[in-house]
Amino acid sequence: MQSQMKESDPILEVKNLFASTNNLPILKGVSLAVYPGEIHAIMGRNGCGKSTLSKIIAGHPSYNITDGDIKFSGENINALEPEERSQAGIFLGFQYPIEIPGVSNLEFLRVSTNARRKFLNKEELDTFDFEELVKEKLELVKMDQAFLSRSVNQGFSGGEKKRNEILQMALLEPKIAILDETDSGLDIDALRIVASGIKKISNAQTGIILITHYQRLLDEIEPNYVHVMADGQIIKTGGSDLALELEKKGYEWTDNFVKET
Amino acid sequence: MEIIEKIKTNKLVENQTEIQKICLDKLQSSPLPNPKSELWRLSDKSKFSTFLDYSVNEKDLKFDTPYPKNSQNTIRLIIGENCQIKLIEDNYSIQQLSEHELDKYIKDQISCFDQNENWSDLLNLSLSCKKNILGLKINGSKIPPIEIFSHASCNSLNAKTLVILLEKNCDIQLLQVNLGKDNSSLSQSTFFFLEENSTLTHGVVSYGKNGSNLLNSLNVIQQKNSKYNLGSLHFKFNYARFEINIKQSEGNAKTNIKGMQITKKDEQISTYTKINFNGPNGFLDQINKSLADDKSHAIFEGSIIVPKIAQKTDASQLSRNLLLSDLAQIDTKPQLEIIADDVKCKHGATISQLNEEELFYMRTRGITLAEASKLQLSSYFQEIISFIPVSKDRWDLLDKILNEN
Repeated sequence: MQSQMKESDPILEVKNLFASTNNLPILKGVSLAVYPGEIHAIMGRNGCGKSTLSKIIAGHPSYNITDGDIKFSGENINALEPEERSQAGIFLGFQYPIEIPGVSNLEFLRVSTNARRKFLNKEELDTFDFEELVKEKLELVKMDQAFLSRSVNQGFSGGEKKRNEILQMALLEPKIAILDETDSGLDIDALRIVASGIKKISNAQTGIILITHYQRLLDEIEPNYVHVMADGQIIKTGGSDLALELEKKGYEWTDNFVKET
Repeated sequence: MEIIEKIKTNKLVENQTEIQKICLDKLQSSPLPNPKSELWRLSDKSKFSTFLDYSVNEKDLKFDTPYPKNSQNTIRLIIGENCQIKLIEDNYSIQQLSEHELDKYIKDQISCFDQNENWSDLLNLSLSCKKNILGLKINGSKIPPIEIFSHASCNSLNAKTLVILLEKNCDIQLLQVNLGKDNSSLSQSTFFFLEENSTLTHGVVSYGKNGSNLLNSLNVIQQKNSKYNLGSLHFKFNYARFEINIKQSEGNAKTNIKGMQITKKDEQISTYTKINFNGPNGFLDQINKSLADDKSHAIFEGSIIVPKIAQKTDASQLSRNLLLSDLAQIDTKPQLEIIADDVKCKHGATISQLNEEELFYMRTRGITLAEASKLQLSSYFQEIISFIPVSKDRWDLLDKILNEN
């Protein structure tokens, strides 16, 4: 399906990517292209390399790319620092958002937003202007302003942490957002709020990669492509019906694929 | 070390006061602390000898470091310069101790001194001339915050002493600032006596310059129902020791301590605390943080003594440490000495590095590694700095720590 003719260039292109950590190979030849306006879902068993792929795209220093390329807007970003990737428009929504005690959420969001705005040659926002902007974005994820005065993610419930991730995505206006198990730990209402936020932020110029185990997020946000990962590779790509098939069949068949290879 | 020779030959200071004579007499038999004792074994001998290498200076040179602007409602005193104070208001009074009161209090203290544990005080009181000893008695409430400065002079060893008696029901905020100069040594000894129901919220900020050394000793006696809060910060010294000795003389008192030391380059800064519960129902909550970078060395040794009389003591001591370099060194030893059987005491120590996952998280939000490290460090410092009373904002402590090398 990825071989279909596209009118524009991909935002993100991962070509035959091999990566390891502590000399342990994790990714074993992943290829993926995300075009503007597309939503991709990556599914697979725990430990198959989904989260690692997201971290490597975001530039985690603990992983080494041993072969292959990551191209963003046509440029190879293998050597870019995580902050440079973020400033350029790559957003990673964490499966387990990190708590940073003592750092106020408001200040953290303002510094992050200004780093992105600086890259986009937009005027940096002072505290007053930023508060206006953030109030507007809080609406998207139905968060209370009280969250802003607390330390980053500290004392937040699982759902609040995920909503805070989507708030950050809304403020940073990325070209591509990789959302790693954003649906995990959410009740139905919270899932709907998060999914609605993602849909409002995404547009015809942005790409989204949803990493998930479950169909329920994909019921809310229908993907154009579903990829199945096993043992550090994408072993099958299909449309949204592939996710429904996985829901019925489970992942056992992917083990056979791993054994055969 | 010329100073040791002078102690041995009793030629350290001219026109000795009675207190100086008593202390010099005690030092003459063994002029140096025992390097094998627990309190001194980790002390860098060469740095310690640098401390003692400067000649004693009783007359301060004009101090040219600009102090931050004084707030109108703060009382500011500089030991050795403008120590004359007598404020008698409707609801409070601050007066200098008479010579007799001061002598009596100090002599009582000296009579309990141990050669190793109080070596810094013995040296201080051997050196401190009358001009450099500030003694105050304070009573009342709604007292304006007080700032007290001690500073060293270049290429010399200065000794400053502070004695404060807080009378019953008194409640004050006091910030003590010890400033080092280039190539200097400062000996600062402080004695507080908190009478019943009094509260002292005390901040100690000590920061040096290139080649500054500091021996900072703090002795606190708390009577029952008194409350002593201490927030302290020591940084930028070639060699510094902060010795805290607190005695809850009858128990039933509260002590809260939040302290931090920051070492860089090849500096060595150490904190030694001894908290002695001499009665029941005492309370202590202590946290000491160290941050060591480059090739520096930070030391914390804390001891909590709970004798049989100190039943129902509730004491907690935590040492948290951050190592920023492979070559830096941190030694930490929180310890409990408990005889009483009905107490709640806990202690612990952690040593860690900057949290990589926190840093990565911030970097994925466009924050550079340098900024992310600064944010993480500022959150590490904040807990301590927010505990330091009086004009901490004007001192811009966080900026100083994060930006000075």
